Amino acid sequence: MTLVKKIWTTPVVTEPQGVIIEDAQIEIIARQIDERARKLFGRSLHIREVDAGSCNGCEIEIVALNNPYYDLERFGLHFVASPRHADCLLVTGPVTRNMADPLRRTYEATPGPKLVVAVGDCARDCGVFAGGYGVFGPVSAVVPVDVVVAGCPPTPPMILSGILAALEKREQRQVEITQQ
Amino acid sequence: MTINEALMLNLLAGMLSSFGAGAIGALLCARWPRAARVVGHTFALLGALLALGLGLAGLAGGTVSVSIAQVLPIGGVALGVDRLSAFFILVIAVAAVPSAIYALGYTREYEGRYSLAGMGAALNLFLASMSLVVMARNALTFLALWEAMSLASYFLVMTERDDRETERAGWLYFVMTHAGFACLLVGFLLLSHATGSMEFAGWQAGAAAVTGTTRNLVFILLAVGFGSKAGVIPLHIWLPQAHPAAPSHVSALMSGVMIKLGIYGLVRVGFDWLSGGPAWWGGALLLVAAISAVLGVLYALVEHDLKRLLAYHSVENIGIILFGVGGGMLFQTYHLPALAGLALIAGLYHTLNHAVFKSLLFMGAGAVLHATHTRNMEEMGGLIKRMPQTAVFFLIGSVAIAALPPFNGFISEWLTFQSLLLSFQIPDKAVNLTFALSVAALALTSGLAAACFIKAFGISFLALPRSEHAESAREVGFSMRAAMALLAVACLVLGVAPFTVLKFLSKTTSELLGATPDMQFTWNRIVTGGSFATVSPLWIAVALAALLASIPITLRVFRANTARRYYETWGCGRAVQTARFEYTATSFANPFKRVFSVLYRPVKELAIEFHPESRFFVRTISYSNEARSIFDDAIYGPLNRMLRSFAQRVRLLQSGNVNVYLLYILVALVVLLVIAR
Repeated sequence: MTLVKKIWTTPVVTEPQGVIIEDAQIEIIARQIDERARKLFGRSLHIREVDAGSCNGCEIEIVALNNPYYDLERFGLHFVASPRHADCLLVTGPVTRNMADPLRRTYEATPGPKLVVAVGDCARDCGVFAGGYGVFGPVSAVVPVDVVVAGCPPTPPMILSGILAALEKREQRQVEITQQ
Repeated sequence: MTINEALMLNLLAGMLSSFGAGAIGALLCARWPRAARVVGHTFALLGALLALGLGLAGLAGGTVSVSIAQVLPIGGVALGVDRLSAFFILVIAVAAVPSAIYALGYTREYEGRYSLAGMGAALNLFLASMSLVVMARNALTFLALWEAMSLASYFLVMTERDDRETERAGWLYFVMTHAGFACLLVGFLLLSHATGSMEFAGWQAGAAAVTGTTRNLVFILLAVGFGSKAGVIPLHIWLPQAHPAAPSHVSALMSGVMIKLGIYGLVRVGFDWLSGGPAWWGGALLLVAAISAVLGVLYALVEHDLKRLLAYHSVENIGIILFGVGGGMLFQTYHLPALAGLALIAGLYHTLNHAVFKSLLFMGAGAVLHATHTRNMEEMGGLIKRMPQTAVFFLIGSVAIAALPPFNGFISEWLTFQSLLLSFQIPDKAVNLTFALSVAALALTSGLAAACFIKAFGISFLALPRSEHAESAREVGFSMRAAMALLAVACLVLGVAPFTVLKFLSKTTSELLGATPDMQFTWNRIVTGGSFATVSPLWIAVALAALLASIPITLRVFRANTARRYYETWGCGRAVQTARFEYTATSFANPFKRVFSVLYRPVKELAIEFHPESRFFVRTISYSNEARSIFDDAIYGPLNRMLRSFAQRVRLLQSGNVNVYLLYILVALVVLLVIAR
């Protein structure tokens, strides 16, 4: 009886699921990314994730991109094990002093043309860690950043939109170069 | 083209006088090491060139026979050249010419340290006795020259005699070669007794009359005698000791040529002197071949001494050659001379190829040793930047020994495979099974050999230098590079245009077996077993070249971005990258060590010394992981102990008391008088 009573008296502690507006959206964004990547790189997009000192909140969201729900691989977006294979770097976290040099090396090791997407508030401006003795600075202080995705942490569709924005930006720049 | 005997005789005389002049000249110049070095090796080169001419003339059909009755008792010195002898003279010369050129540069650093006069004399004697032993036409000539060859090579092995390891290696070689010699001596005497002749021609004529136990005993004795020289497992133990200890050009000669004379002996025994035997002879050879090939390459895989690794590969390649020879003997037993010819051609072609690429590899290893002063692969690395030409030559040798096209190893291993696969024509299930297992063993060997040379080349030449010696290495001198270049070109030519040699070889085996081999060839293709299999070595080479060329062409056609940007090697973003992060030879070999742990029986030792205050702080760690030889434990160890205990007992006779010795003499005299009465 105590169990029933407990169930009866305890309010619902989880949030309601809400309306999922992302389902169709994610498919559209991912297809657009793939299309543009094929135009720019001649093949599907290969992504290398760099944790430059993150609390791993952003990583959980990035990992979610690969789970059965989002399943990025079906659109030809791969996470790869080496920057040598990558077209795009996803950088998370405030850049710590220890990771500043490895991040720079990773950027150099990535073949061009390459995109850099800074993911999360910390990557943008160091977030709550700003001013910490171990913090070197935002990602843009170390390597040139194409697009910043805000959020603490940003949701998977936001990260995808960020990658898409970076591709669009790169496309525009190329159009400008060819127009000149 | 006919070759007259006068030409052959002139070539033979020229060759012998060159080697003789080299030996004597080097000794006369003993006071001036530099002169001794130049004189000894120049005459060796001249003699080797004349030997090359002699071999080619002999293969073209020239014959010669010389006999001098006064020199040796029982038949005197009898020499003669038939096609088989000529082929082996060619093999000797092909390795000897570059070796002499190489030695001119390589021995420079021996000046003032070791006797160059002795070395020059021994080298000339070694080359002369090797070229002559294949021409010997009676038992005593053969045995005398065989012993001269063994002794000359023993002195060459002992060049760096102040090293304890060399001393041990030399001693082991000395014992093993004489054990083999004893077997040969008894075998020859038995055969002479049974046929009533000391001449080889007499043996061939009278062999049919030798039957039963004597015939088998002669075969076993001669097979053991020649096998110990060839280095087949389990008679191989001297080879990985003696070859690394010798100067590199001598290693090239010993590994490339001298051990092949064991093969020469086996071919003579099986196809000429006894001309065929029961099926178990060939079967036994196939078994020995399989064991030698597989175990040879497995021991090579865990070896980190570059020259010792190559020595173990010689054991492996002797196994591959024996597949051809043993297969040939089995085919002959079942009256399939055409297939026997094919198998023998495969074996002999691999003999020539192994002489070429193994000499090349030993010279490459010698060049590395010369530049880094170490044979330990774990202390090399990064040599491709410092010695680019040597690296290319070593790579060519590695590809050739791994039996990959377009180099020569591929052709002979292909022929070996074909001859083994054609064994389905033998109507005996047990024999078919033996052949099938041989094919499996050969396939395993080829794969492991490729893995081993990825290790040998990758660890020694690629990545960052692992020691200061490797860091300061510099490219070797011109003569050494020239010698390696010659052999590298030979690897390619023998791989792309095998018809040049096959022409001679098919005549050689026809002469030996009295039937044409089951093989047709033109300048660009080889067909075996009617239409069983075809290969076009030239087109393979062209296709490979086209494939390589297609990479830049494709990039151009598709307008790929070929802009270059130079940056350091990706090392996971590490701040410092040192050679300690690199893949080592030990770690490369470890998977094999685990998979084949039954054979290696690795002994692992891990000792950690902790800080006395806390076990979380480690002071020193020492780790050792060694493979042990089954043969040392199971055969040679007990044998050694037995001999020792026997010798201890015999020592009782040697009391040191003169009176006792006088008693022995008296007893011996009385016994003799009683018996001889």
